[in-house]
Amino acid sequence: MDDILNTGNVPYVSEASVSVEIETEDMTLNIGPQHPSTHGVLRLVAKVDGEKISSVEPVLGYMHRGYEKLAEVRTYPQITTLVNRIDWVSGFANEIPFIAATEKLMEIEAPERAKHIRLILTEMARIASHFVFNGAYALEIGALTPIFLAMEDRERILDLIESVTGGRFHPNFNRIGGVKPAAGSGPTTKKNVQDLPAGFYQETRDAMEKVLEAVERMEDLVGGNEVFKARTKGVGIISKELAEEYGVSGPILRASGVKFDLRTQTDFLPYDKFEYEIPVGENGDCYDRWYVRLLEMRESAKIILQAIDSMPSGPLQTKVPKVIKVPKGRSYVRTENPKGEMGYYVISEGGLGPYRLKIRTPSFSNISILPVLLEGQLLPDLIAIMGSLDFVLGDVDR
Amino acid sequence: MNLSSNAEFIESISTKFSSVENEFDTLKIKVKPEEWVETAKILKEEFQLTYFSWLSAIDWENEVSVGDPPKESVSPHFEIVFCLSESIEGNVVLVSTEIEKEDAMIPSLIEVFAGSNWHEREAYEMFGIEFNNHPNLTKMYLPDDYEGNPMLKSFELISREVKPWPGEVDVEGMPENGSKEDN
Amino acid sequence: MIDGSQILVTAGIVLAFALNGAVIFTILDVKGASWMQRRPGPLHVGLRGFIFPLAEIIKFFQKEDITPTNVDAPVFKWAPAYVLASVFGLFVVVPISPTLVGSDLDLGVFYLLAISSLSTLGVLTAGWSSANKYSLMGGIRAAGQLIAYELPLILAVVGVVIQAETMSLVGIVEKQIEFGLPFALSGQGLAFLIFMIAATAEMMRVPFDMPIGESELVSGFLTEYSGVRFLIFYIAEYMNMFVLCAVASTLFLGGYHVPLLPPEWVNFYGPVVLITKTVLLGFILVLVRWSFPRFREDQLQNLAWKVLIPLSLLNILITSIMKVVF
Repeated sequence: MDDILNTGNVPYVSEASVSVEIETEDMTLNIGPQHPSTHGVLRLVAKVDGEKISSVEPVLGYMHRGYEKLAEVRTYPQITTLVNRIDWVSGFANEIPFIAATEKLMEIEAPERAKHIRLILTEMARIASHFVFNGAYALEIGALTPIFLAMEDRERILDLIESVTGGRFHPNFNRIGGVKPAAGSGPTTKKNVQDLPAGFYQETRDAMEKVLEAVERMEDLVGGNEVFKARTKGVGIISKELAEEYGVSGPILRASGVKFDLRTQTDFLPYDKFEYEIPVGENGDCYDRWYVRLLEMRESAKIILQAIDSMPSGPLQTKVPKVIKVPKGRSYVRTENPKGEMGYYVISEGGLGPYRLKIRTPSFSNISILPVLLEGQLLPDLIAIMGSLDFVLGDVDR
Repeated sequence: MNLSSNAEFIESISTKFSSVENEFDTLKIKVKPEEWVETAKILKEEFQLTYFSWLSAIDWENEVSVGDPPKESVSPHFEIVFCLSESIEGNVVLVSTEIEKEDAMIPSLIEVFAGSNWHEREAYEMFGIEFNNHPNLTKMYLPDDYEGNPMLKSFELISREVKPWPGEVDVEGMPENGSKEDN
Repeated sequence: MIDGSQILVTAGIVLAFALNGAVIFTILDVKGASWMQRRPGPLHVGLRGFIFPLAEIIKFFQKEDITPTNVDAPVFKWAPAYVLASVFGLFVVVPISPTLVGSDLDLGVFYLLAISSLSTLGVLTAGWSSANKYSLMGGIRAAGQLIAYELPLILAVVGVVIQAETMSLVGIVEKQIEFGLPFALSGQGLAFLIFMIAATAEMMRVPFDMPIGESELVSGFLTEYSGVRFLIFYIAEYMNMFVLCAVASTLFLGGYHVPLLPPEWVNFYGPVVLITKTVLLGFILVLVRWSFPRFREDQLQNLAWKVLIPLSLLNILITSIMKVVF
């Protein structure tokens, strides 16, 4: 033994005796842009000490398409095509605030029937988006089955959207001053404008029954699971103040206990005619965020069923000039996207296109909270928290 | 109703700030650059506008390389806008200020609203506006070695130069006074 | 003692048993998944979906076997073989019938537990040699998890050993036949439960699949593997699942024995009985896998150290007292 100590590796001995506590260096872990649970191409540069995260820096821009710039060289009707692609999970809901802002500037209003159709499709987009969240979130927590069921259920909704608009993801269905005649409605003549495809009402009713069933099932399969609760309850708590300061909106804000839903504050879609509840969480943790979205699906289905029953008749379009020119002015309109506050600030100089279009997307503000939220969390919790924010990269980067 | 139809709120805002506009249901306060942070503080504390929605800028310029120029000629400047709201009745206020284009600079709102961090980074990258006291004023979307500020009106869309848009096969009946009509 | 041909026959039986087990469990898992998830592919397409697992295996053979640039190539390449071999070694002592057994060791249980912990090394080397941070984390997670769950696994079996007074697997089955009831129903129910939970963790299946955890670690220690080497891990996983279920049915459910059938025909019905019991246990694992989310790493460790190990120690205590009293 003495021999080894005397003739052996002296630095080794001294090193071992000096540091009792092992000092470790943080490892830089690049999560994304290609990673299964970053919802596309978000990149998080995380400094991790073992499983523990010491800091996170999101890196954006892998999906940046410069829509605000592109909007400056497009005419107003062309921009609806662009904004469809911002949040592709709920394409229809993206069109609404832009159309609303433009109509406001032109001082026209869509007919009641068009408004109802818009409302129904918006709520369908919300259900479809929340289905994706429900499936994907369970997948991120580690349960593989819910996503298959959720996708199957969502397909029913997308089929309905397709039957009306002709597109599953990018409906491009709104026109300034109304909606366009539905895709499945056959040849349109001036005397016979069929707007919704035959059998749409009954199919919608059936689909909404299925949605309500699916919500029950999801509540059982995912929400009733002890492991899921253990993974999400008390994880990633966002306080009301923090959420508001960062402009976090939508179901995330409501999960933190703020009863704030832009649907109650818009005169643009006739939400005030229908009865529905706004689900609000208590703790602002991942479980609440999941649960609020689940309950919202139920409320959306109720709204759609009421809207179907009280669908007014009438034209789909108001009279608009052939070449749409928007008078000089500015308007900011925001509506409740499935992900949160979606707003367009349209600055018109009286031309064929806007002088400047500011697009306020919910996901951008929602994930700006990530560096604050993730500090000191464990790696599995990072995934749980990130998933619960339910962002779409197109919505973040625009 | 939408945004700013709450008469009581508009009334109280108008008494506090002199330059309040309300057009198309969009309530806007115009302030001087010096009052920028102070305004945010007042709105947050006195009017309970605690919800920070967004911040962005507008490049006012007569010579534009994309889109149409403003109808009446303007003095070139940046207009910076931020949007606050409160989460009970949904009152919304836009606050705007105008700054010079040369050495465009404005204090950062981070100390009042931490959420303005990313929005200011975006405005910095897209317009080249400096935000004082910003802890991490780096590029948001674009590569680190990217030069230029894409949202400036003087910034050209290269693809637009190569292939005029709207193209000749456009069906919607295109502008008679559009910017590019070479064919 | 044992001549060459006997070794060959033994190896042949073990090989057939192991590979068939892997195939049965692959089909079981895929079928169970598609049944629960309403996936038409493995449920209806082509020979009622039975062609699907086959297609999957062919797919792996078609894929390129990639060795990334910075990996520790020899270790990286041999890690799958190591895992496979350690799983394969487990089959040797599992009795298919009283005589149809690779080798009826006196210390069968001891051998079994010793060998089963070897696969840890294979997984750890796979993670370490991949030169990938996700792989490394997966490997370390696997090591931590396998060490933590090795203990409840062993301690659960100790109860059985005390009750059976032997460590030979054939001996344990004979004891259960003698007793008239399988151990799971006669005093070792708790141990059975602990054994199954720990075995699930050993197999790295949901809800204990953090070493692979695709939503967190991309694919954990498997991230850099592709083609045939990935397939070997895949087969080893199902073999492991099969053999641990077979061991569980041997230790707790009476193995190849079933009441009312003539004991002299056990060599014929023994394999069928054992495989049936194994498949039933496997079916429970399939149901769990496709309906449970994944635990977090610290929750997994807490479960092992704070719940399962104290419970299994309690089980040993109770079993010992009962043994002394009766």
